[in-house]
Amino acid sequence: MGAISAAGNDISETLDSFLKVKRNAGPVTLFPTKLAYPVFEVKNLPPDYHLDGQRTLSLALIAVDQALADAGLDDLSGLRVGVCMGTTVASQLNDLQFYTSYRERGDAPMVPVDRFLKGNLAEVISRRHKTRGPALTVVNACSSGTDAIGVALSWLRSGLCDIVLAGGADELNHVPYCGFGSLGIVNPGLCTPFDRDRKGLNLGEGAGVVVLEKTTAARKRGRSSDLVLLGYGSSSDAYHLTAPSPDGIGLKISLRNVLDEAGIKPVEVCFVNAHGTGTNDNDLVEGNALAGMFGNDLKMLSTKGYTGHTLGAAGGLEAVFTALGLREGWIPPSAGFSTRDDSISLAPVREKTLVNGHYAISTSLAFGGNNAALVIGRGVRA
Amino acid sequence: MNVLGIGTVFAGGIGIKNFEEAMVSGWQTPIDVEAKWAIRGKHPVYQANLDDVPDKTILKKIRRADRLSKMAVLCAADAIKDSGIGNINGEKVGIIVATAFGAHVTTFGFLDNILDFGETAVSPTIFSNSVHNAAASYVSSTLDIKGPTLTITQFRFSFQLALQLAVTWLQQQRCDYVLAGAVDQLGDVLCYIADRKLTTARDGRIRPFVFKPTCQVPGEGAIFYILGREKREKTYCTVQSVMINDSTSQGAGTDVTIIDADGMLPDESAYLACADSGTMLAAYSPLFGTMMTGSAFNVAAGALMLNKQRYYPNPVQDNPRGLRILTDSGPAHIASIECVGYDCHSTRAAVRLIAI
Repeated sequence: MGAISAAGNDISETLDSFLKVKRNAGPVTLFPTKLAYPVFEVKNLPPDYHLDGQRTLSLALIAVDQALADAGLDDLSGLRVGVCMGTTVASQLNDLQFYTSYRERGDAPMVPVDRFLKGNLAEVISRRHKTRGPALTVVNACSSGTDAIGVALSWLRSGLCDIVLAGGADELNHVPYCGFGSLGIVNPGLCTPFDRDRKGLNLGEGAGVVVLEKTTAARKRGRSSDLVLLGYGSSSDAYHLTAPSPDGIGLKISLRNVLDEAGIKPVEVCFVNAHGTGTNDNDLVEGNALAGMFGNDLKMLSTKGYTGHTLGAAGGLEAVFTALGLREGWIPPSAGFSTRDDSISLAPVREKTLVNGHYAISTSLAFGGNNAALVIGRGVRA
Repeated sequence: MNVLGIGTVFAGGIGIKNFEEAMVSGWQTPIDVEAKWAIRGKHPVYQANLDDVPDKTILKKIRRADRLSKMAVLCAADAIKDSGIGNINGEKVGIIVATAFGAHVTTFGFLDNILDFGETAVSPTIFSNSVHNAAASYVSSTLDIKGPTLTITQFRFSFQLALQLAVTWLQQQRCDYVLAGAVDQLGDVLCYIADRKLTTARDGRIRPFVFKPTCQVPGEGAIFYILGREKREKTYCTVQSVMINDSTSQGAGTDVTIIDADGMLPDESAYLACADSGTMLAAYSPLFGTMMTGSAFNVAAGALMLNKQRYYPNPVQDNPRGLRILTDSGPAHIASIECVGYDCHSTRAAVRLIAI
């Protein structure tokens, strides 16, 4: 696994932030802006990874390299390896300088265009590591990372490849910063997921990547892992472009499907790492859907209080955090939460909480009505 | 995996019948649109005409959607209608939308907002429509499809990867049907970029068999497929395999090879390898224009040929190398067709279709 976010530039730093409930948010430093919403920026990006105008790609490559090192994979040649990455920002040619030049003069330099055309996340990672397998970039808004991992699972099960590098990456970018502001769902202070007085989300950035490998392939190279991806459920609300269905129908279908695919019952789930953005609608719908499926005593948290909403990276990062919770045997307090919302039947954990079980779920709810969930297991067979 | 229905929106109209008519009629001159950067102030494009929609009900439902989403929804609805299957909705239907550039026109519209009105006065509606998966969301909500809904982008191979994923979803029983397709939109900025980086065919003729030098005419449109495990009375063909960067697939034993050559690459000589196997060659990009996701249209051409057991002539037949290309329309005995695309790294993608 590999992870980089405002919570830490690697997994060790991230766990330290979780333990100490560090919330590394602040004003925007990456671009000029008159807006004052706090953000969760990654600091001290390693210089070796700096790519001019391709911050999302830099973040992705850092997480990929961490994950490969963690998996003991330094040479992918000869292996059937797929790459599936989720993003939002890296998929769009939204360079303001380029566009300003085009608009004013009817002419613009091609450098940003070339960066964009050569910057497809999955393709760059695939070419960098000379992988032989499918390479796909998922652009499913805020569930992109979760969906990318779900696609990877389908590829592995179909035999298209033996290993997949999967996850998500996104940089903090001026355009969505303005866009989310226009939607009126950005918190002027720090986000407080599931709190009664929540006022919206904070944007963040980062990348989270997992190396998924068939058990048989891992054994051949003398490796094993007690963490297993057991299921992926995905569904659409078929309701509205920006608002979740009030009855949480899509999330409920996703949860039911992911439990079926994993072959487990709700009672076996020891915690859920929720999408929990801190917006009024998301937390209300998600909290009640989770309560309906798992009961009011479910151990649940949102890690966005540590990372902000990292959009296309969120699903990748949160899959890593969910796996870490299982591996470490504890989950951190849901940062920012203090007052229970009586309209939500479930409250997140307020302090470091021990978790003792074999299964955990990570959920993502996206713009456009997408819902996605992963079941991760520890100490169980795939 | 079987092709059970096809919907199209392109410069030649809406619906697979219009696509077939275009294949029969042959090349038509593209329209000229104004552009401040173009020589003579105009440049040729293959532009879809959404005013042609006979039933405006769907457009009324999605009146706030942008043009990209409208093309996607109209096309997806058309595919369902074409399949004749009455219950393509609900949880067991998946959606995979492949796009090379997504809602780039709306994205530039949002940038206009920022530049014209400032950060605090931008339109949430424009921002919402600029998100890459907005089109898929409109398809889902308009057609009441609640299965897995995914938008993917991989430039030249976006559509092939969508098909490949649809195969896995159907095999793994994740879905009973998958509505998979491609959509891309013309826009002034992308046309400018294409004109600067490639050579535009000033006479509007893409010449797919010239290979070098190439010329392009930007196109737009959408094409969606209803894919399923079952075979029905109206099944176009079977998708036997989708191979990307797989050296085992080189077109052997294929009756017809449809190539994605469309002027998107300055040198398309890689397609010459397709001629080595001795199959008949076809390329239909002159009907819909140069598009990263143009392979989606070529696969439809292949599906029609297999379904109708009929050859359709190449719309532009400039053939300086004297290759075996389809020149006439007429009945045929076709068992298999391979649709082949190359990207700028000479990576090959092949969709192999076989007759029912």
